[in-house]
Amino acid sequence: MSFLQKYLKGWRFRETSPSLEVGDVVDVFVAESNGATEGHVYIGDTHLIVEGAGPETVEKQVRVRVTEFDGTTSTGRGEFLEVVGESSYTS
Amino acid sequence: MSTENGGPGESDPSESFTQGTEDDEPRISFYGGRGMSAFPIAFFILWAVAQTALWRISDTGGLVVGILLGLIFGMFFVRGSWKTYANTIFEGMTQPVAVTAIVAWIWAGMFAELLQDGGFVDGLVWLADVGGIGATLFPAATFVLAALFTTGIGTGYGSAIAFVTLFFPAGLLLGANPILLFGAILSGSIFGDNLAPVSDTTIVSAVTQDADIGGVVASRFKYVIIAAIIAFGGYLVAGQFMGGLEIGGDAQELLVAQSEPIGLIHLVSMGVVIGAAVAGRHIVEAISWGIVVAAVSGLTLGLLSLGDIVMFNAPEDAPLAEPLEFLPILTIVEDPDAVNVDGSLINGAAGFFELAILVLLIIAAAQIMIRGGAFQAILDWSIENLATNVRNAELTMVGSAALINAVITINTAAEVAIGPYISKIGERFNLNGYRRANILDAQTAALGYIFPWSGGVLAGFTAMQDLPGEYDWLTADMLATPIEVVPFVFQGWLLVAVFVVAAITGFGREYVIDRESEEVARL
Repeated sequence: MSFLQKYLKGWRFRETSPSLEVGDVVDVFVAESNGATEGHVYIGDTHLIVEGAGPETVEKQVRVRVTEFDGTTSTGRGEFLEVVGESSYTS
Repeated sequence: MSTENGGPGESDPSESFTQGTEDDEPRISFYGGRGMSAFPIAFFILWAVAQTALWRISDTGGLVVGILLGLIFGMFFVRGSWKTYANTIFEGMTQPVAVTAIVAWIWAGMFAELLQDGGFVDGLVWLADVGGIGATLFPAATFVLAALFTTGIGTGYGSAIAFVTLFFPAGLLLGANPILLFGAILSGSIFGDNLAPVSDTTIVSAVTQDADIGGVVASRFKYVIIAAIIAFGGYLVAGQFMGGLEIGGDAQELLVAQSEPIGLIHLVSMGVVIGAAVAGRHIVEAISWGIVVAAVSGLTLGLLSLGDIVMFNAPEDAPLAEPLEFLPILTIVEDPDAVNVDGSLINGAAGFFELAILVLLIIAAAQIMIRGGAFQAILDWSIENLATNVRNAELTMVGSAALINAVITINTAAEVAIGPYISKIGERFNLNGYRRANILDAQTAALGYIFPWSGGVLAGFTAMQDLPGEYDWLTADMLATPIEVVPFVFQGWLLVAVFVVAAITGFGREYVIDRESEEVARL
């Protein structure tokens, strides 16, 4: 990204519930996990249930492939691929 | 993202400093429940409020004692062995966040001092003088020049002192309103404190949110400039309506005495640091280039001597002092108290030594709170009651950062303390590091220069107290008071307002899926 692009990036109004496409691979933080194998990811108010993201992935950044997405309710499901990063603060 | 913290399951070279845990239970157990793990931080906040807000003592050393006592008293509430508590202090202090911030500060401090000693402000005084600015325009011009100066040197406190000393009396003589002038100086300090890559608060905001400093600077420009354009208009309009005092002196004479056009060369030094940082160079590399450019240009243009940059003041009886006294960096001093190493580099770096210790201890106390469970309790409560969706989460981040900075005078310390909370709330909604850092630093910079007990206001007001002794015509009743200036710190109020609007409307919001902040390169 060029010098100027860095300054111009983000001059827009970003929605609270961003859309995803089936097949997208995204690196996101897991907010919480209710069961042994399902994690919950919030991208803004978009809610993704990630299969395979158990409690050990909570507050970690994981790579997820989107498998289902409903644009009207901004909810979907995804498949856990791997852990790719930590939170800024390890708890 | 930082992956070198050592995740669960990784073997750690030192079993004393285990990083990361999969346990749901807090690792340190406290009498009185997990809330008691917040004791060291809570004690420190109360100490900081009493010391800095109630008793107006802006002394970082005092805050160090406050956090030390908090950590000691907190230990008495630990159930069982105190060893884990003690080890957690080390665990916190060895987090990359602290070390990265401290290293960047020390470099930034050396650069800032070189610019100050190299006559940067004198160049700006020259600009004001040749511009032939009148009373009504002077506050707006002061705002712009103070903003430029602070963006170069990074420290808003230093800028408030320099501008109160030089621009405030000149403005009074011109007939500008003293309250508006002081407000404009503080507004300029906020602008630079928020935007400069060498600003201590910019550095903390970036490293606590795992973002690169150059990217943070570029991404926050949009918020800062919107607030600044409105603030500039505000000073133009207010300058028309708020009259000054009839003193009848010659303002130009005062300005000319401090005017040195060649000082503007440091716009180049400043540009080098900003350009290199935003281009993605390591912050240490970017500032090092700035130091080289500032030193070389200062030396070649006669703004600085080698002795100004570094000077060894040796005692008379030192074995090789006399034969080498011809060196421009060596002076023999008679007074034993004057024996030291002096100059821009040491003074600039030393300015951050106390703050470095303070930050290490605050991060240690924050780690106790994380390991003891109080942090999670506050986070759970916030998520349940405040940050219920992304808009509310951002408003919560704005509000919490604003609140802690409003009550703790030294804004860098407040920023370090609230950094983990902002990070966790933001990460939950996958807001990227730039957005989190920008929300955090805008409130930190703004609230650090608005209230009568804010560090920036105190720094400027203290410098103002010396003015009546310096100028015969200037009396104490001409000065602006910290209370009066509160509504006129336009940049501060507007910056907070911009972020409230940005949180509500989504202006500038970026998720990690839009763009990931680059990691602050570790050492």
